[in-house]
Amino acid sequence: MTDNQSEAQERREVVRIRGLNKRYNKKSDWAVTDVSFTCYEGEIVGLLGHNGAGKSTTLKCLEGMIPYEQGEINIAGYDIKKNPEEAKAQMGFVTDNHATFIKMTGMQYINFMADVYEVPTDVRVKRLGELEEVFQLGDAIENLISSYSHGMRQKICMMGSLIHHPKLWILDEPMTGLDPRTMRAVQEFMHSYAAEGNTIIFSSHALGTVAKLCDRVVLIRKGRQVDELNVKKIYEENPEFDFEEYFLKNEQKN
Amino acid sequence: MSKRTERGKYGQINMAKVRALLRKDGQEKRSAFKTGNFDIVGFILKVAIACTIVALFVVFFGRFTGVYLAVKTDGVTNVTARTTELLTILYSAVILGMVIGGIGRIGRELFTADDMKLYAAMPLNAKTLFVAKLINIYLSQLIIAFVAVTTINLTFATQTRADVAFYLLTPVVCILLPLITIAISAVLVMPFQMIKRFLRERYIVTFILVTAIFGALFWVYSIVLNGVKQLLLGDSIRWFFSERVMTAIRSVCGALYPARWFAEIIGGEDRVFGWLYLALLIAACTAISLLVIKSILVRALQSRNEGYSRSVIKTKSLKKIDGKFGALLKKEFLMIFRTPSYMFSYLSVAVIMPLMVYFCMDVSVSLIENLIGVNCNLELALFLTILFGTLTNVFCATNISRDGQMFYTIKALPLNYKTVFFSKIVFCMIVTAVSQIASAVLLAATGSVSFLNGVFLAVIGMLFSFVNIAVATRYDFNHASFSTEDDGEIKESSGTVSVVIIIGMVMSFAIGGMVFILKAFSQLNHTGLGYMTYLITAGLAITSVALSVFYLLFRLDDRYYEFTGGGGI
Repeated sequence: MTDNQSEAQERREVVRIRGLNKRYNKKSDWAVTDVSFTCYEGEIVGLLGHNGAGKSTTLKCLEGMIPYEQGEINIAGYDIKKNPEEAKAQMGFVTDNHATFIKMTGMQYINFMADVYEVPTDVRVKRLGELEEVFQLGDAIENLISSYSHGMRQKICMMGSLIHHPKLWILDEPMTGLDPRTMRAVQEFMHSYAAEGNTIIFSSHALGTVAKLCDRVVLIRKGRQVDELNVKKIYEENPEFDFEEYFLKNEQKN
Repeated sequence: MSKRTERGKYGQINMAKVRALLRKDGQEKRSAFKTGNFDIVGFILKVAIACTIVALFVVFFGRFTGVYLAVKTDGVTNVTARTTELLTILYSAVILGMVIGGIGRIGRELFTADDMKLYAAMPLNAKTLFVAKLINIYLSQLIIAFVAVTTINLTFATQTRADVAFYLLTPVVCILLPLITIAISAVLVMPFQMIKRFLRERYIVTFILVTAIFGALFWVYSIVLNGVKQLLLGDSIRWFFSERVMTAIRSVCGALYPARWFAEIIGGEDRVFGWLYLALLIAACTAISLLVIKSILVRALQSRNEGYSRSVIKTKSLKKIDGKFGALLKKEFLMIFRTPSYMFSYLSVAVIMPLMVYFCMDVSVSLIENLIGVNCNLELALFLTILFGTLTNVFCATNISRDGQMFYTIKALPLNYKTVFFSKIVFCMIVTAVSQIASAVLLAATGSVSFLNGVFLAVIGMLFSFVNIAVATRYDFNHASFSTEDDGEIKESSGTVSVVIIIGMVMSFAIGGMVFILKAFSQLNHTGLGYMTYLITAGLAITSVALSVFYLLFRLDDRYYEFTGGGGI
């Protein structure tokens, strides 16, 4: 057990993944093998790995989007298999393909998500105002999502995923397609959201973003969890630590 | 290489690239027939429907031709004049159909085909692309012309003594006809695209317009159906062609160019001038096609890379709560209402369905009474209600696939699988209930069935519609196929649709046929088995509903969790 883990044990567990194994069909190789990690409240955890490493698969299993063969996933005390509705109510997520109902307007989509997560009317109005300050969709929120650019779809997906102020916020490649201003705003928002005691898990290729944002990083290679790093501690001990170099070296190991 | 030569190399039609593009299109078409991609059920269904339509046309048109050629004007028969009139009208219909098809095809090839976005960034000049697209469009029109004109001419030839030229000129007409229809389509395609663009986010106007056009087409169909009925019942159609009607037909046919020139050439009325006018027209049309399609190709290439226009839709404030089920219902409605092809194939069809039932009922009731002398109104109404209800609810065979990748998002939301499935089923039931009740009211109001039978009809119609919807939804879930388009819209019907059509048709023919035969038998033999209609249909409806609920929910909880279909995630 690392120092960080024992330190974090005092805080409440929000995500607990144990021995996760997933393959897409019986004949194929395992997409994820024996992945286990825990995320605590107030933490930002990054999933790092090459293309096809198993980051998105792990997140999709966590979100309850796809089934998994072995293991256990627990979100804020609820098992995703045994109590799926309760577990899913604790989280908000943004997928890598930004799939959304493009025949709805942005506002209708927010309303849809608020209805699904049973957000009271006064709360949804207040939260939308707060989210608008971060994502700044402006009048475009009244437009059909089909007319949105890639970045705008990303923003509306993020806004929809946060309307119920989830305990756990899951993002798959969140910075792709965002303009620099929004990227900065999202990063600041992620820090403040975690500071409120919420947990954020995200996958990324952007090592700089991961280094800047994460408290911890779970490194996945070829479906296997190969390392777990305490980013904060590493930077405290060595401010010159080259994350990119470390990642590339790790990739070369078989 | 000099700049001039380079410009020449890239500015001219490159036949090697044209061949490569055509080869690519051919490979794509062939790949649709490969195992895994090939919808065998759908293919057989399409071939069977096409063969049925051709067979019905051959039988009824053949019979009608005999009647029409014998019509006398000023006391004498004139086979050559009647031939020209008849062929003029039919060729006009073919031209109209080919122009409508051509507008759609050119629009698809130039504005919506996937490849255009790629081609826009490739070293393919507009001329090369244009030639390849034009050849494709011509070939598709040629096939339609060949099937339509050959069927008409051969059927016609069986009823009259056609000369050798008639047979020899038939393939010539097939080859020439697309040259004209493509030109007309090319001229109309831009205004059509502009109208489409104008209507794109005017959903209510589109709905009214599409439904009205569809209703009008069905009204025309009912007139044709009435003509068929008169043909079957005897001589009444012969008396329809009075001197006044024939004068009107002559004057209309006199103005139906260019179909009239084709008819004059084929029928032998005026081959010299017919050819001359046609040659001039084809030359003009070919020039128009070349100019217009080339000019719109450049615009199309640019438009593919443009984003959608921004449109502002005033939504209600966030203060309205729909609840989980209500939110999913609303989502279903918006997805369908705001996608023109879905709106047409479900909502417009559902609105028109009562008219379909009424028109067919109107024709078939008198036909049955005259042919076998029995009153089977309720049984006919049941058959037609179940049949058209089935055809309307075939749309539900995409209930899951329509969500596309969003189905996975829905899976990750805190929603019970029953809420997800029943929101879809309830939405379809609302649409079908309106349709079935309107249908029953129309039949009761026009006296085709009594009030109580109307109520029975509506209830039975809704029960069988539930069966259709539940089976179609679960079957689609088991065989989901998500669109790969950016907008996730399903543009081609899958094998699921074909299977659901067949199940629905078998069900309607089996139930409708059974009660009809029983009622006819009962009336002809005075056995008093009339009540069996109620007993059988009600019994079968309740049993079918129970079985469909079982099929819908069988291991659905597990399968919903295990779902990884639709073409992958």
